[in-house]
Amino acid sequence: MKEELKRIRVYLMTGVSYMIPIVVIGGVLIAFSIALSGVEAGKGANVTNPMLVNMLNIGVAAFSMMVPVLAGFIAYAIADRPGIAPGLVGGVLAGNVKAGFLGGIIAGFIAGYIARWIKGWKVPKQLKPVMPIFVIPILTSLAVGGLMIYVIGTPISNLMTAMTDWLKAMSMGNAVVLALIMGAMIAFDMGGPVNKVAFMFGAAMISEGVFTVMGPVAVAICVPPLGMGLATLLAPNKYTETEKDAGYGALAMGMIGITEGAIPFAAGDPLKVIPSIMFGSAIGAAVAAIGKVGDHAPHGGPIVLPVVDNRLMFIIAVLVGVTVTAFVVNYLKKPVTGEISGDNSFSA
Amino acid sequence: MKIVAVTACPTGIAHTYMAAEALEIAAKKLGHTIKVETQGSIGIENKITSKEAAEADLVIFAADVAVKEDIRFAKKPLYKVEAQKAIKNARLVVEEALKFYETNA
Repeated sequence: MKEELKRIRVYLMTGVSYMIPIVVIGGVLIAFSIALSGVEAGKGANVTNPMLVNMLNIGVAAFSMMVPVLAGFIAYAIADRPGIAPGLVGGVLAGNVKAGFLGGIIAGFIAGYIARWIKGWKVPKQLKPVMPIFVIPILTSLAVGGLMIYVIGTPISNLMTAMTDWLKAMSMGNAVVLALIMGAMIAFDMGGPVNKVAFMFGAAMISEGVFTVMGPVAVAICVPPLGMGLATLLAPNKYTETEKDAGYGALAMGMIGITEGAIPFAAGDPLKVIPSIMFGSAIGAAVAAIGKVGDHAPHGGPIVLPVVDNRLMFIIAVLVGVTVTAFVVNYLKKPVTGEISGDNSFSA
Repeated sequence: MKIVAVTACPTGIAHTYMAAEALEIAAKKLGHTIKVETQGSIGIENKITSKEAAEADLVIFAADVAVKEDIRFAKKPLYKVEAQKAIKNARLVVEEALKFYETNA
């Protein structure tokens, strides 16, 4: 059991190592197409040039595979080849039920352990050939898929409704407390359900003419990728080679307000990275609330600067949040001992 | 002579294992020790450890797809054939591999 716990990080890193190129493709292409198009008040990213629209679509296609690949290759690390297919299926379902990358991690582990368990069944020799192409993938997919739909899907949609109501009630109170909470929510699952509730709430307030809710959110959105990118530059010995590469991608994505740039770091070491980015985003958002930063576009990161009120405070808030994130995460992280690579580590 | 071999085929449910069995029998008949790892659709089985790889004199790949973790066998004399050939005439494959070893080692 203790052995297995140690291996969990190897499983996570295997999934992450296969996911990183996808995050980089998606993040960089989306960032590039938005950066060349700009962000408009009230509308958000406004990509119109046909070539840039296509580039955006290529990036979006890559992003749509991010969670399935993470789940598929976590399952691969656990169960070898029979894990991949059910893991991919579970990952797509995690996306369908809006469970985000944390849902994908759960799907990957469940698929991997079930596939490995079925692999261990003692079956007659005649049945052996159909196990890996028939029995294992179908049984495992049914199990992990059913779990994602029935056990994870419904509570998530209930939770999202409850959190939205909660934020509505909170918005009557102290703006700085609201910003602290929304900042932490944005960073928590980066594109998952909690992030979406905070983002949608900020965006909804824009259409009601209140810009100071989205302002802190716009700061919180770019803090995780920028913070993690800065962290890899400040303490290179605490990150693997693949993570350092992901760091440059994260910096580019952060500038354009793509929070997902920090997912490779969070998925590889959730217990240290997620609290750090939540803390940094919350502090950044709070500074923005104190500085009465407003944002007229449902989008975040330095790219929204043209449609921001109190620009100087916006920049200060981002810098504070990014610095806090980088220092906290580097304080928590230990130097890496030996490279953990995707292919060879799990069965060596 | 210590031989290690890896077998793999695209579907990974039949040929991989037939090739493995054929190689084992042929090598033993010729008086060599052999360990055969299968990389089938169930994943890696009968895995050759890095220690076993380091101690081996000769490596045979009977594979139609890329062999996983082949870094274990770097710097070893490596003889490659299709999985099919090992099934049809494993004895010939082993003999040719030994010839390859003599000319290259």
